[in-house]
Amino acid sequence: MRHLWLGATLAIILGGAVMPSRAADTPTLTIFAAADLAFALRDLAPRFEKAHGIKVSLVLGSTGNLARQIEHGAPADLFFAANESFVDDLVRIGAVIPETRGLYAQGRLALATARSFGAKLTDLRQLADTRVRRIAIANPQHAPYGKAAEQALRKVGLWETVQPKLVYGENIRHTLQFLQTGATEVGIVALSVANVPEIDWVAIDPALHAPLNQVVAVVRNSGRPELGLAFIQFVGGPEGRRIMKSYGFLLPGEF
Amino acid sequence: MLSVALTKRLPGFALDVHWDAGEAVVALVGPSGSGKTLTLHCLAGLIRPDAGRVALNDLVLFDARAGIDRPSRTRRLGYVFQGYALFPHLTVGENIAFGLKGWAASRRRERTDMVVERLGLGGLQHRHPRELSGGQQQRVALGRALATDPDLLLLDEPLSALDAPLRRQLRDDLARTIREWGKVTVVVTHDLGEAYQLADRVIVYEHGRVLQSAPKSELLWQPASESVARIMGMRNVLHGTVLKATPDRIQLRWRGQTLEAVNSPSRAYLPPPGSPLAFFIRPEYVRLIRKDRGAPDPSHHMNLMSGTVVSQTDFGTTWTLAIRLDEPGAPAQGEYDLEVEVPRLVHEILELDRDRRWQLSIHRGSIHVLPA
Amino acid sequence: MDLFPVWLSLRVSLVATALTVVVGIPVAWFLARRRHVGKEVVAALVVSPLVLPPTVLGYYLLVLIGTPGPIGRLLGSLGIELAFTWRAAVLAACVGSLPLLIRAAQAGFESVDERLEQAARTLGRSEPSVFWSVSLPLAWRAVVAGMVLAFCRAFGDFGITLMVAGNIPGRTQTLPLAIYDHVQANAMREANVLALLAVGAVIILLVGVGRLARVRY
Repeated sequence: MRHLWLGATLAIILGGAVMPSRAADTPTLTIFAAADLAFALRDLAPRFEKAHGIKVSLVLGSTGNLARQIEHGAPADLFFAANESFVDDLVRIGAVIPETRGLYAQGRLALATARSFGAKLTDLRQLADTRVRRIAIANPQHAPYGKAAEQALRKVGLWETVQPKLVYGENIRHTLQFLQTGATEVGIVALSVANVPEIDWVAIDPALHAPLNQVVAVVRNSGRPELGLAFIQFVGGPEGRRIMKSYGFLLPGEF
Repeated sequence: MLSVALTKRLPGFALDVHWDAGEAVVALVGPSGSGKTLTLHCLAGLIRPDAGRVALNDLVLFDARAGIDRPSRTRRLGYVFQGYALFPHLTVGENIAFGLKGWAASRRRERTDMVVERLGLGGLQHRHPRELSGGQQQRVALGRALATDPDLLLLDEPLSALDAPLRRQLRDDLARTIREWGKVTVVVTHDLGEAYQLADRVIVYEHGRVLQSAPKSELLWQPASESVARIMGMRNVLHGTVLKATPDRIQLRWRGQTLEAVNSPSRAYLPPPGSPLAFFIRPEYVRLIRKDRGAPDPSHHMNLMSGTVVSQTDFGTTWTLAIRLDEPGAPAQGEYDLEVEVPRLVHEILELDRDRRWQLSIHRGSIHVLPA
Repeated sequence: MDLFPVWLSLRVSLVATALTVVVGIPVAWFLARRRHVGKEVVAALVVSPLVLPPTVLGYYLLVLIGTPGPIGRLLGSLGIELAFTWRAAVLAACVGSLPLLIRAAQAGFESVDERLEQAARTLGRSEPSVFWSVSLPLAWRAVVAGMVLAFCRAFGDFGITLMVAGNIPGRTQTLPLAIYDHVQANAMREANVLALLAVGAVIILLVGVGRLARVRY
């Protein structure tokens, strides 16, 4: 029995010694990004890597969680949020460099229908239909796209009616999954991630909700702020803008 | 010399005992829950008494006032638990050697072999407790306790886990072993017969208190009170009224009879006339008077009574008769007044199956008064 | 396919289980034996990670061990990085699996007949010796069962790890996080492969431990 004890302690020590704690030695740019940028950034990152010879590590999550992690010392170089307020919070507490704060895009909502449903919705008001049993949106409490979805639904006067049918996703990717698996028949997702084979979608009039201003900033703790800036410039450059546009974002200058 | 003074308060129970024993073997006897095992635990240092003192010869094991409380492991004792508490994951040999941890391997083996030999456990050293019979387990437990050569040996109901026939035989073995090893021993038992065979002094417990502490011969004849008599399982514990009391004799009235008994050995018991009196009569000392020998001789037969045998039980070597006196009124013990024990031979000679009406006599020395 | 998450998870869960055993068994022993006033408080603390949602638990831990947090700053001054490293993943796995080990081991210790421990004391053993020679050997099965549970929980931790270690691919992305990422990206093939590997690895380990446990009586 004592051997078990010794073995356990040994395992801890060895585990600590043998484990490599870092994977890369080439300069890496760690980007914390909101879930709605999944497709866009997955497209942009390899291009940037090739152009600049810098490895990009992409960490996707919900804007709220990511912001909190950055606040508590997460090793991010760059933070692409899905809204403004979370970044402004970080500016206020000094976790990001204020001068680097910039609006990089405006997000848009899409009304999505799972292909398995049969019909395809084209208007928000159709959500009241009894054949629509479950509607997926991102959690309005902490997801910017969810908040925008709620605003749009209120604007068309449907919020109270559809409340019982709503299913909340933790973030945009989660919400999308409900649709992709057919767990919900319809949903409101980010336009930038709507191009998946399992769903049909139409854009939602941006006038129905507050603008989804998406803000980026360089994290103060970053060991390589110049890399972050380079990436921001890449996204704002001709190639970056083209790709962002292809994923349905509105770009600075267009709104 | 073992001197014990303990008080311990537990929810719903209070132990307050004080006794000394110069004898080698002491038995604690009493009903379950009377504090006997608790006493052993205190002696062993497994429970801390609230107050008191425990000393074995000149070694003080516990003294509340002096702040002494030796931990179990330094008390040099051997404890045989009720149910034996043998380590199931160790062999017999390992169990016995458990207390010999600091010893050199060869010495430890030697000692273990010796204990195994003396307790008749040869060949079982590599077995596990679950493979042994009850009697074997008991001996392993004993061996384990004795292997360390303790100064004090504590046995908690060492035989109660065994079936009756085995118990009888093992009692003899245990008595012999205890005498051979010669340790100061405290045995807890609820069986008086066991206490008598194993110990020199018997201490009677009830409700956390000591009712009587006496060498065993004294206890048999002079239970200190009715409670003690009851605990000792005495039969014919009866209640009468005092007519007259002198240092030598007590005259009392019981069930319409006037009986004369000797006073208790202390001769100081002088209850006033009219006061209630408890007494007992040993069943084997009630004599049935033979009918073929004429009238009873007053010098031999005193306290004459007559009655009818209302039931009888065959115990093999003896018969126990329940006799109801000819007096009117309710009998003293349910359906009968007296229990009488006769040897089988007497039962046959007197043809008790056929003849149920008898005269009885009880010698005054066989009526034992129980001081209140 | 990147199999880094598999190796990371194996190492993290083995180290975490070892840590859980070293910390948890004494606590389980304490809870099983002593009759102290503090016992209920400790017991409640032990169970609390089971009650809180993992990301919430992770958040509270992050507040403590993040660079601006009290423990984070202390460790930082000693040059030790904790948050957002594999060590934080170990911590997360440990926190999640401690309650399981402690309760299983505690039940094991409680089931050991007290008289056996008392007998050991009368036979001259000190408290630690009583523990090693009587209590632990007799509670062995329950302890091993607890360890197995702890390992599985450590291996599968998600929410706490996500918060305190982050989901950083190639650095702290453990197997559960990687599978989840693939599922979210609808890359089901990769997700399935990793899931099979996870289950397979755990089955192999459990069979191995099971064999070991059967060797005894």
